Amino acid sequence: MKLKSLGLAAWLLGTCALATPALAQVNIGLLAGITGGAAAMAPEIIKSYEFAVKQVNDQGGILNGQKLVGNVADSGCKPQVAADAATKLVNVSRVIGIAGPMCSGALLAAANSATIPAGVLLISPAATSPEITTLKDNDLVFRTVPSDEYQGQALARTLLSRGTQTVAVSFINNDYGKGIAAAFKKEFEAKGGKITAFAGHEESKSSYRSDLAELAKGGADTLVLLDYGDTSGLTILREAIENGFFKNFVGAEGMKTSAPIKAFGAENLSTFIASAPIPAKSQALDIFNAAFSKAGGDVNGSYVAPSFDAVFLLALAIEKAGGDKTKLPQSLRAVTSGKGEPIMPGEWKKAKELIAAGKEIDYKGASGSVNFDERGDVPGSYGLFKVSGSDYEVITEMK
Amino acid sequence: MDWLSFTIYPVYLMIFMCIYGCLAIGLNIQWGYAGLFNAGLAGFFAVGAYTSAILTTSEAAGRLGGFDLPFPFGLAGAMIVSGLIAWPVGKICLRFRSDYLAIVTIGVAEAIRLVAKTEDWLTNSARGITGVPRPLGDLPYAQAQLAYLAIVGLILIVVYLLIERQAHAPWGRMMRAIRDNERAAVAMGKNVPVRRLEAFMLGSALMGLAGGLYVHLARTITPDAIDPMLVTFLVWIMVILGGSGNNRGVLLGAVIVWIIWSASEIVTDQLPAEFALKAKYGRMFLIGLLLQIVLRFRPEGLLPEKLRRAPLSEGALSPTGHGARIQAPHKEI
Repeated sequence: MKLKSLGLAAWLLGTCALATPALAQVNIGLLAGITGGAAAMAPEIIKSYEFAVKQVNDQGGILNGQKLVGNVADSGCKPQVAADAATKLVNVSRVIGIAGPMCSGALLAAANSATIPAGVLLISPAATSPEITTLKDNDLVFRTVPSDEYQGQALARTLLSRGTQTVAVSFINNDYGKGIAAAFKKEFEAKGGKITAFAGHEESKSSYRSDLAELAKGGADTLVLLDYGDTSGLTILREAIENGFFKNFVGAEGMKTSAPIKAFGAENLSTFIASAPIPAKSQALDIFNAAFSKAGGDVNGSYVAPSFDAVFLLALAIEKAGGDKTKLPQSLRAVTSGKGEPIMPGEWKKAKELIAAGKEIDYKGASGSVNFDERGDVPGSYGLFKVSGSDYEVITEMK
Repeated sequence: MDWLSFTIYPVYLMIFMCIYGCLAIGLNIQWGYAGLFNAGLAGFFAVGAYTSAILTTSEAAGRLGGFDLPFPFGLAGAMIVSGLIAWPVGKICLRFRSDYLAIVTIGVAEAIRLVAKTEDWLTNSARGITGVPRPLGDLPYAQAQLAYLAIVGLILIVVYLLIERQAHAPWGRMMRAIRDNERAAVAMGKNVPVRRLEAFMLGSALMGLAGGLYVHLARTITPDAIDPMLVTFLVWIMVILGGSGNNRGVLLGAVIVWIIWSASEIVTDQLPAEFALKAKYGRMFLIGLLLQIVLRFRPEGLLPEKLRRAPLSEGALSPTGHGARIQAPHKEI
């Protein structure tokens, strides 16, 4: 027995020694839900992470020509797995910054139990829960993807300004649906709108008629449906149209898929509008898309642009801080302040020279301006879409 | 100072071993001593985690809370509430034979997960509870981890000693008697349903305790932490691998399985990138393989239950009463 535990201890020590990094490199962590519920998105996100790392290394490396090394780890889209992976990254791989994880629950656990106590900067490209905004994070948690809160609020304001005063709200019962619905409700009611019914539903039921009947009781003729257009959202929309429960339908980005158009045809969707983030048609996005697809990436992959931005920003912050871990958050803010020479995605060499010369720089993200607010969030840019032919068309930008 | 930071990961590993140790001892009471097939550990774990989180956090809009109680009250609450939830479940389900009980407990765990995910006023639904305090959590990183390990380790030692004592007391012998031959136990005048319920509630309370310990470590709980694979099945593997019916065995199982689960990633990360990514899926395979090997070559587990043999003719009885049970569930009325 004793021998066995000795062997275990020796193995454990050995693995720790193996993983101790060499000196002439800067380690960052790349967390993604390789296994688990969001595994389908992970390959493109990792490709995007590594694409950013490669660009830094191809253009002279980081600090004094050191190599930037991305340590990929699995956050599993689960709190326990993510906290475990983050602890390993911080204490075994000795990273000074982390990009990821993708899922909100995973981020909360990883940040609380590893990165915040260790003072490691974390930038998530895909966790959208409003709960992250209120995290006590010593300014160490940032994200390059807007919180669900913003879209909910923007949607509420836009509906009111279009003259819709009374709505019923139905949302899918997960952190996405819940977060966006709660933000919508708060803003809509604060600005004088009336919500006659507000209810969540479980995904993938075969019928939602009873839910719809309940929602329609309040007498609103507009249904705000915060769901996914490929699954339960499609079922609800079909049953609501068929039975005439509601006249007008409003969705968010999850509903803006091709499935409803294919299923019902554009002529039946004249009263359907949906909001979605507009990837703010920018020069930065064009540059990123061209470079990323040339490198073999899929530019339509979910969250690839925010993922690239997260890693590139991490590298810029490290460069600006001279590799000093404690200065990373303020350096990150300095390179995204909106002032100074603009830096496009991939312009690492230019940024490096400007930082060395002591000049201000401002990174223009592929996913948007990435000018963080005081809580480390970015405001999103959203548009309201209607169905036109076999696709969607922007009606108006949302403020 | 820097040498201290090298201890953080091993310390973190050990904290998790202690939490899993609590879960494994809880399951050992139910399966190892009483022969109850509980496949809903995640549910009781979640009840404990949420109870402790609600009791110890400060006021939050829109959900139950604001009790701000100190950490020990959170843990006590976690055990009590988990035990109480186990009461009706056990009262109804313990009449079922073992495989039916497994199905029912899976259902109960899923119901608990859905409640946690849906009920705004209770658990803040899908967004979960954050800002759960950790005792001595304001210390620097390494010291805070060590302090928490000390707390969790102490609690595990106390649990272990108390349960060992209980197992060697008449209560433990009686539970084993009920497990191995229910009719004989009834004939001896033992109240089988009540005793089973006791074991079920005690085990569930320990699972709740583990949930409480976890939530103060992670300082946050969201419904996606209620994961049957990470909580229920991993613990089952620990118990079977280590040796059900022996508390030292299940603790050894917790240590081995958690090292394989967590530390193996450090080794596989040394592989070339394309293999390293695939290897992340490999850890599940590795653990499954280990279970297969153990069940094939050592079905009684690494540290089997020590049974005092009665001086009877042994041929009539199965030689290792316990190990045989894993392959073929014992027959009951």
